[in-house]
Amino acid sequence: MKIKYNAEIIAGAVFVIAATVLWLLIPSQIQTLEKTAINAQTFPRIAIGGMLIFSAGLLIQGIFFNEKKELVITKESFHSDGFKREMRSVIFAVMLLAYCVLVTFLGFIISTAILVVAILLFYGARKWYYYVIPLAMVGIVYYVFGVVLRISLP
Amino acid sequence: MDLFLEGLSVLLQWQNFLIIPIGLALGIVVGAIPGLTSDLGIILCIPLTYGMEPTMAILMLLAIYCGGTYGGSITAILINTPGTSANAATLFDGYPMARKGQAYKALSMALFASTVGGLLSAFALLFLAPQIAKITLLFGPAEYLALAVFGLSVIAGVSNKSIFKGLIGACIGIFVSTVGMDTISGSSRFTFGNINLMSGIDLIIALIGLFAISEIMMKSQYNPKTDHKQVSVSSITKDKITREEYRRCRKPIALGSLIGIIIGATPGTGGGLAAFISYNQTKQSSKHPETFGEGEIEGVAASESANNGACGATMIPMLTLGVPGDGATAILMGAFMIHGMVPGPMLFKEQGNILYAIMIGLIVVNVFMYLIGRVFTRLYAHITRIPYEILSCIVLTFCIAGSYSTNNRLYDIYIILIFGIIAYFLRRMDFQLVPVLLGIVLGPLAEDNFRRAMLLSDGSLSIFVTRPISLLFLAVAVGSLALFAWRNHKDKVKARM
Repeated sequence: MKIKYNAEIIAGAVFVIAATVLWLLIPSQIQTLEKTAINAQTFPRIAIGGMLIFSAGLLIQGIFFNEKKELVITKESFHSDGFKREMRSVIFAVMLLAYCVLVTFLGFIISTAILVVAILLFYGARKWYYYVIPLAMVGIVYYVFGVVLRISLP
Repeated sequence: MDLFLEGLSVLLQWQNFLIIPIGLALGIVVGAIPGLTSDLGIILCIPLTYGMEPTMAILMLLAIYCGGTYGGSITAILINTPGTSANAATLFDGYPMARKGQAYKALSMALFASTVGGLLSAFALLFLAPQIAKITLLFGPAEYLALAVFGLSVIAGVSNKSIFKGLIGACIGIFVSTVGMDTISGSSRFTFGNINLMSGIDLIIALIGLFAISEIMMKSQYNPKTDHKQVSVSSITKDKITREEYRRCRKPIALGSLIGIIIGATPGTGGGLAAFISYNQTKQSSKHPETFGEGEIEGVAASESANNGACGATMIPMLTLGVPGDGATAILMGAFMIHGMVPGPMLFKEQGNILYAIMIGLIVVNVFMYLIGRVFTRLYAHITRIPYEILSCIVLTFCIAGSYSTNNRLYDIYIILIFGIIAYFLRRMDFQLVPVLLGIVLGPLAEDNFRRAMLLSDGSLSIFVTRPISLLFLAVAVGSLALFAWRNHKDKVKARM
């Protein structure tokens, strides 16, 4: 499969969809009793409407005026360096999202320690002190926030 | 004069003189680490300032800002990688000087020029800001809205050649600022029934997500084997700047400082642009332009005096008009708000003594910066030895703890991580994050004053063009957008040729 794309097409399309969804949500998400023309819905409408118009502009710019890259998707594409690089970002994002779940159940110290170890493994760290320093920092941060700043972390 | 003396007495407390060197040391460390900017340093330290007096807190953050702007020159000179974008012009001559075995000389000149630029900029802030503030006291809702529009027009300058992307970013920021309970009608907006969103999204939470988390994600493709550059500390010799070299650098430093102040005071610019303009001007006016780029000490002096020269001046529009000129000042503006000080005309009237303490304190910050730099420059070269794997874990830990401490709720941790992922997508699509930040900061100012102005004028939009100051700001905003479009068009035509 052959795809022609550029950043403008991708970003434009994503924000056209996002802005359309948000626009349709305005009546249910902002219920106001104000009878005036300028009310609680006005500014969100300006912001979302602006987002819709400008992202449509960006999409048109991307389709008709800017240079496009060509991507041929084959089985080999999934083994290319470019694909692996992109996957690293996806894995990193997944680790952060998994942390959101972990911190809810395990609290700051354990979940952050797991995240730190996961990141170091992600970067392929092998030396023992690469693990000791950030893990010690997790403990220090917990202590400084709890004792010095009197903010007890979860 | 009374306020000046009151400010001086607020400043002259031992805690302030303790926190300034700490802030500077942190700022220089953060600035010297490629990938960590002074913006990020300020964001990470805001939660640490919650328990401090406003003067002490802001002075610490200003010290990080100034220290970071200077600290970026260390890696620019030593490993050809600027610590922050403001130091990019320092590369041209700083690194060639280091290769010629004059690293210590280049670092010393960077410190001297940064200090002179920073001091002159701090004096400009101290003497110009109160005069501008007197005029801005005449502002009503229409002028405030025009001011917010003018502030948003700054996006033209920071949109990375795509005005659409800048405008989308600003709209995202304004939208984010509207989430939560509407202060005028009490209606909830885009809370999806979640009680945590009723109070809106805190500025600091948005900042941590947008800048810190996205930065860590951008570096997820970092390869420790190939991407880690470090300095050999033994290469930093002890050769000093000669009297003749100081004499030669007088003009570039004076010119650089002046350019830094003018550019810094213009919203939408910043230290990086000032450094490039100053470098070019110095090169063009030099009797030996051919030596620039080959390790010319005047080049280092010109760029470093300009980027630090912009530091104090960027605070002029922020403090007097409430319009942040760049990312760092937008973050500092958030810090002011967190400490109960809303930048803008009323700040000089209501909290003038604290403001004077901060403005005089900026002079002290620059003096301390010189002293710390003199003592620790060689030591700071070791910073480059810290592996990024360790740094990213430490920064992430601070981000998580800092975001939780803002409101003592887990929800904010989720928000920074989600914001971080969205900001990462934006950055990969060549969006700049400053427009988003400007939208978040200026959105509420624009909305409140727009609605107030419309009440005053019975719904007529003419109020914005019949009042001269409002009209002036709107005209300048339109003018700067038009100028951007024209410059962009010119660049495209040039590229085609």
